[in-house]
Amino acid sequence: MPEAAPAVEIRDLVKDFKTSFRRQRLRAVDGVSIRILAGEVYGLIGPNGSGKSTTMKALLGLVVPTAGSCAIFGKDSLKVDSRDDVGFLPENPYFYKHLSGAETLRFYGKLCGLGGCQLRDRVDELLALVDLEGARDRRLGGYSKGMLQRIGLAQALIQEPRLVILDEPTAGVDPVGSRQIRDLILRLRERGITVFLCSHLLEQVQEVCDRVGIIFQGRMIREGRLDDLIAIEDQTEIVLRDASPELIARITSLVAGVPGTDLVRTGKPRTTLERLFLREIREEER
Amino acid sequence: MNIWLKSVILSLALLAFGAARLPYEAGLSHELRNARLLPPHLEINTLDKIGQTSSAITLGGLRTLVATFLNLRAYTAFAEHRWPDLAKTFNLIVDLAPHTRYYWETGSWHLAYNAAGYYLHDSDLPPLRRRELWRSYILQGHAFLERAIRNNPDDWKLLSSLGFLLTDSNKIPAFHDTNACYAAAAEAYLKSAATGRTSGFEARARLYSLARVKGKEAESLALARSLYAAGPQNRTPTLVMLLLVLEAHENPSLDVAQRAIQLFKTPQKAYSSLSGHWQRTRDGFPVYGVSAGLLSLENSLGISKEKSVLTKPLPPPPSIDDWFHN
Amino acid sequence: MSATQPTPRGSHCGRTLVIATHTFTQLARMKVFYFLAIFAVIIIASNFLDWQQLQGPEAAGANALASIKSSSFGTMHLFSVVLSIVATALLLPKDVEDRTLYTILAKPVPRLDYLAGKLLGVLLLVFVSLALMDVLMTVVLQIRTSMIMEQQTELAQAAGYTPDAIASLRAETMANGPNASLQGAVLAVFLRSSIIASLALLISTFSTSTLFTTVISSLVYFIGHFQADARDFYLRIGQAGQGGFSRAVSLLVSLVLPDFQLFNVIDAVIEGQAMPMLILGKLALIAIYYALFFTLASWFIFSDKEF
Repeated sequence: MPEAAPAVEIRDLVKDFKTSFRRQRLRAVDGVSIRILAGEVYGLIGPNGSGKSTTMKALLGLVVPTAGSCAIFGKDSLKVDSRDDVGFLPENPYFYKHLSGAETLRFYGKLCGLGGCQLRDRVDELLALVDLEGARDRRLGGYSKGMLQRIGLAQALIQEPRLVILDEPTAGVDPVGSRQIRDLILRLRERGITVFLCSHLLEQVQEVCDRVGIIFQGRMIREGRLDDLIAIEDQTEIVLRDASPELIARITSLVAGVPGTDLVRTGKPRTTLERLFLREIREEER
Repeated sequence: MNIWLKSVILSLALLAFGAARLPYEAGLSHELRNARLLPPHLEINTLDKIGQTSSAITLGGLRTLVATFLNLRAYTAFAEHRWPDLAKTFNLIVDLAPHTRYYWETGSWHLAYNAAGYYLHDSDLPPLRRRELWRSYILQGHAFLERAIRNNPDDWKLLSSLGFLLTDSNKIPAFHDTNACYAAAAEAYLKSAATGRTSGFEARARLYSLARVKGKEAESLALARSLYAAGPQNRTPTLVMLLLVLEAHENPSLDVAQRAIQLFKTPQKAYSSLSGHWQRTRDGFPVYGVSAGLLSLENSLGISKEKSVLTKPLPPPPSIDDWFHN
Repeated sequence: MSATQPTPRGSHCGRTLVIATHTFTQLARMKVFYFLAIFAVIIIASNFLDWQQLQGPEAAGANALASIKSSSFGTMHLFSVVLSIVATALLLPKDVEDRTLYTILAKPVPRLDYLAGKLLGVLLLVFVSLALMDVLMTVVLQIRTSMIMEQQTELAQAAGYTPDAIASLRAETMANGPNASLQGAVLAVFLRSSIIASLALLISTFSTSTLFTTVISSLVYFIGHFQADARDFYLRIGQAGQGGFSRAVSLLVSLVLPDFQLFNVIDAVIEGQAMPMLILGKLALIAIYYALFFTLASWFIFSDKEF
């Protein structure tokens, strides 16, 4: 069986922008290559202005590369049919405020060629998936930021794309909404949908992505599997429950007896502030 | 392709597209002008006179709207007796809306009747000056109507109004050649009646005018006869009387009294009709055989010389010297 | 939900229509239709622009119908031009600002469909507005015409007119009331707006500012009225071979700008001329020609515009 085309293939992408008054060109993306296989969740991380959004836009044909090429499932990004398989959630999307949630999804569905019962069922399904059934008839003007992101995710999924591109999906969203979005991304992965997201909220990327690329000033400086990248090679972690102080003392002396190994730290592992926050909220709700 | 190259290509395409459609548009424009669906070009002068905002609207295509508002201006000029302004405004209005009968009618009425009548009575100016202005406005009204008819040759009402103006005994003294006036009026009434949209008055009015043209007596008689024969609606007192006098002109040996009794049914009616016609000096109708008929009827009816209408002084014919006396 | 099901592509027409109806609702919700109330006031006021100055049955309400018609058409014209220019000018910048453009273009929507849909949405709005105004004008005109006809009939009967004369008087008045040519004239107003809207679309693909697009489009519209004069000048003076520079300028104006004066047939219709269907057809042909060219030109510029 011939190898299926990768979900995303960006080869040596270069993009220059002309700034208005200076003659010099601004090189936003400088020779970036990314290859995402089907079914992966890929995170592109980097500080503001590093070229993340530009790369995504080049992939979607919203921006024409100065050099290099982009392809989605083998189809060139500059052609319209490459977007059959893609859903895109832009950064801080607004959508049309005068439409309701369900109407918005219907609009995008019709743009993709869906219609009739199929569209209706799809809309219901997606609203359930993103947990917005209660607000389906409310105008988008009255949605909170988290709700907007979720409806944005729903419209990205309207035509059952094989690839979903998310630009800062959890920026500006409260921890509860953020968790929901992360859970959705994980659910997408379970269904075999490829996810390409970019963010500068690093902890959240850490929870979802399989592979990660770090981009800085337009260049890819590090790329690889997440676990490989962040493993602190030379350290090992052992977490014990209900360990007595005597046991701890025995382990400490055991380690001290082996040359070349140091005991770095003992103590209570810290939970994250996020976990504490969510725990408190849930208890309040009960 | 960068934006500059694209702009160049676009500009070339625009020019080529323009060249392709230019003949079609020019042709269509020409066709529409011929079909009177597009108005002829407005002169620059006219645009000046209308003013900038109105020019914009006019060019934008709503000449009739500008005309509507100029009409209000003209009405104010009329109410305040500013006759030169009124004349100017109406000329503008008809430039903009040349096919609206209402503006032609109203304009000529204001000029020939209201403006002229104003100078008839305004005692501020010396009489010679007033007379001159009176005359000039009547002639302006006349010219206005003629221009109206040139623009709307099929309009029965404008033709009828022209005829009316030219046979108005109060206006005729403004013209040099009275005969020509009556002839022109008859012509106008003929065209008006020929449109087929008139009430029947115009056909009769044609006779009234034609009968007053020297040299057209035979034609008038034929017309009178055909109108008389057409039916009772045409047998107005004036028409019947004209039939009588024209017959008397054609046949000098006609017994006018007998014929009058025939036409008017009784000798008394015949006498009163004849006397009325005899005294109707203002209108300038022919009076062939009327005095003979009156004499004969007076004899048969036994009316004495003192009571005879022939011995009574006749009302003077219209004379502008009397009007502009003081 | 499978990840490998092929998605249905949909048709160009379908997509364009979706965008068009959506644009229509978007614009309509900007409270555009409240102006209809103002239009109603104008048209009722125009009923009173009738000074009874002349005598005779023919003069009863002689100018009222012309006043109603010219006021209505004036308003319709002004409104349709303003709407065409401003509504079109704000569409693209608004989508870019709101980033909704990204979500639409990220779908398999060809850019031509997007532009055509936007234009059609504006045209739909203008058409509906004109239709509503047309209905209002026709109703008022019909009522006034009946009133005038009755008045004239009374006066004519009192003056002793023959039945034929009365019939022809009524026919004349009725011809000045609502008729098919008047509807044709409303269509001519719409056709003119469609040209200006597609031109505004082209200009908006160049500029990123609503204000700039509005100003330039209005300017082009205004100058376009002189296009006929420039063209005549060029064609006539050309033979004498004089005035090179003025010839060049007039040629440029003739080639680049549309001839909006062709649509002045509206004035003639208000004055009572009949507009043959053939003429309307020719005007429609010209409007379609322009709209197509400008839309394709817009696409040419827009096709590789970056966001």
